[in-house]
Amino acid sequence: MKNFGVAAIAALILAAGGARADDVSALLKAADKYRMSSDNMQVETQISVFNTDGSPDKERRYTVFAQQQHQSLVLMQSPAEKGQKVLMLGDDFWLLMPGSQRPLRITPMQKLLGDASTGDIATMSWAEDYTGTLAGEEPCGEPVQKCVHLSLSAARKGVTYQRIELWLGKAKNEPIKADLYVQSDKLAKQARFVMDKASGSTPASVTEMWLRDQLTNKKETQVRYVGRKEKTVPQAWLNPMFLARNPSLD
Amino acid sequence: MRRIHLLAGCAALLLNAGACAAEPEFSGQVRTWWMDPRANGGGPLAQADALSPGLVAPSRANGTLEAELHASGHGLTAIGTLHGQRDEGGPTSSRAFFNELYASHDAWGWSFSAGKKIVSWDVGYGFRPNDVVEQETRRTLLAVTPEGRAALTAEHFTADTAWTFVLVNPTQSRAALGADEPALAARVYRRDGAIDWHGFARWGARTHASLGGAVAWVASESIELHASARLLTRADTLAIDPTLATGALVPANPWQPASVSHPVQALIGGTWTNEAQVSLLAEVWWDGTALSDGQWSDWAARNDALARLAANPPTGLPMQAVAGNLAAQASAYGASTNLRRANLYARASWQHDKWQPAIDMLYTPADRGRLVTASVGWQGDRVRIDGGLRAYGGPSSALLAQLPTRRIVYLAGTWSF
Repeated sequence: MKNFGVAAIAALILAAGGARADDVSALLKAADKYRMSSDNMQVETQISVFNTDGSPDKERRYTVFAQQQHQSLVLMQSPAEKGQKVLMLGDDFWLLMPGSQRPLRITPMQKLLGDASTGDIATMSWAEDYTGTLAGEEPCGEPVQKCVHLSLSAARKGVTYQRIELWLGKAKNEPIKADLYVQSDKLAKQARFVMDKASGSTPASVTEMWLRDQLTNKKETQVRYVGRKEKTVPQAWLNPMFLARNPSLD
Repeated sequence: MRRIHLLAGCAALLLNAGACAAEPEFSGQVRTWWMDPRANGGGPLAQADALSPGLVAPSRANGTLEAELHASGHGLTAIGTLHGQRDEGGPTSSRAFFNELYASHDAWGWSFSAGKKIVSWDVGYGFRPNDVVEQETRRTLLAVTPEGRAALTAEHFTADTAWTFVLVNPTQSRAALGADEPALAARVYRRDGAIDWHGFARWGARTHASLGGAVAWVASESIELHASARLLTRADTLAIDPTLATGALVPANPWQPASVSHPVQALIGGTWTNEAQVSLLAEVWWDGTALSDGQWSDWAARNDALARLAANPPTGLPMQAVAGNLAAQASAYGASTNLRRANLYARASWQHDKWQPAIDMLYTPADRGRLVTASVGWQGDRVRIDGGLRAYGGPSSALLAQLPTRRIVYLAGTWSF
């Protein structure tokens, strides 16, 4: 219901014309609620990568603790990566490889690994990381609907994508699709979002994000949000040296 | 014996405290690998074998099968390994051991653990001066889980700082050498934006105090720089009796445990990674615990003298005596984790979809020795395949060119569950 309230305000602003930065921020906050219903979440994510002919390529599972102030802890759960962990604290990143017990400081570029980068998995909000302008209104999505087109620029250096062209549904501000650009301003991935429907007191949310690689192999990656719950992790879990410990998952 | 009881008692105490109510988690892997080393035709061991065939065990291709199970929950963490190896034309050997088996418990804002545990520290890749607890072997052909050490640990974490205290090898004799030495070690970690600061201290039962520091700095989107240094009071090494005449024959191995005073270890390096996931790593390090250039010159002179003695033996001198003395010269390779004090290391790798090709080289400027490894890995959902080649080279006088192995080819397959 809250989503619809923000959406209505945003629609009025757009209707009045001349969207300001504050208005774009309000739109992004509304869109973020479809992926992050709370500031501190535990999200179970499944990644399926498909070859260009549609055949399955690989699958990965992750537990993501997305916390406020750009803090995320990602635990790799698939057999091939079990024990691997990535900690993201704002613009700073650490990696723990299985069996090493030694957290490694990594660069933003090293975080950009794989078909779905750690940034794709761990970052679920735009409002805190991007500023932008309203590029206009245009039809988008399937089925086609009226959309708001936003051009976003990174507000801090540690984000995976430096520029995002984002399309939100005009009526509800839900994310529809996005073009994701890396540091060199090359189009890295194109994203589209799959929503479920609100039922009872449960608001609608993004259940899947599909990413098509435009930089290298053109493969398509399905990011499924299998489970979401509110979870505030102890402060110690967000200390890089704590990565060598085994946090208990309940 | 009393110390074993102490360790067991601590573990039992932590267990009884009911450390953590999380459900147990299990995972593991089965791995098999095949290695085909080719013996070096040069160096003291090859000379010894030529004088007395059969004195040196021949390099044989070997196959290994290993199963590793990880389990954690209810305050216990365990990694157990079953390891079997068969040398071509030789016997099969097998071993079962725990890489880790420890109990842990949180109390009064601290985390305590007791048991066998891997405690890896420091920031380097090719060499880690401040890895003072685990003292993990670096630059291995395959990434294997190291075997932890008996340890009691206490850790305290805040948002930006971590304190760790470790009593390692408490059950070992005070006379134990190298990484087996009983010691108390401490690390303090501090995060300061793009920089990680580490401070280290260690007190060894025999080698006494050492102090170290390390830093890792993410300088830009693509570049990470790191450095580490350690000052030691003493370090274990091997040395030959300095009064021994260069070509003198002795009935026992003249290379005996010794110590080096006030050595310094230091490393500086950096990584660069681009959007295409090409990654370059370069490191330079100094290891003052390695034998000095002078010691290696004396070593080479003794090799030459023994070879001359073998070429023109006095009447009645058994060749086995010369061969045995030459073979003993190979002991010097184990004096330290690095052969030479000054080392350069570079590595290039590329993560491309499921493939990761890599090539690296260790270079010792003192004798222009080199160790080159080329590898490729393929990672599927559950299966990983690794293969590669390691070649030792340089001028014939270079230490790396005189090691018992000239090159190794390997192939490994891993199935994870």
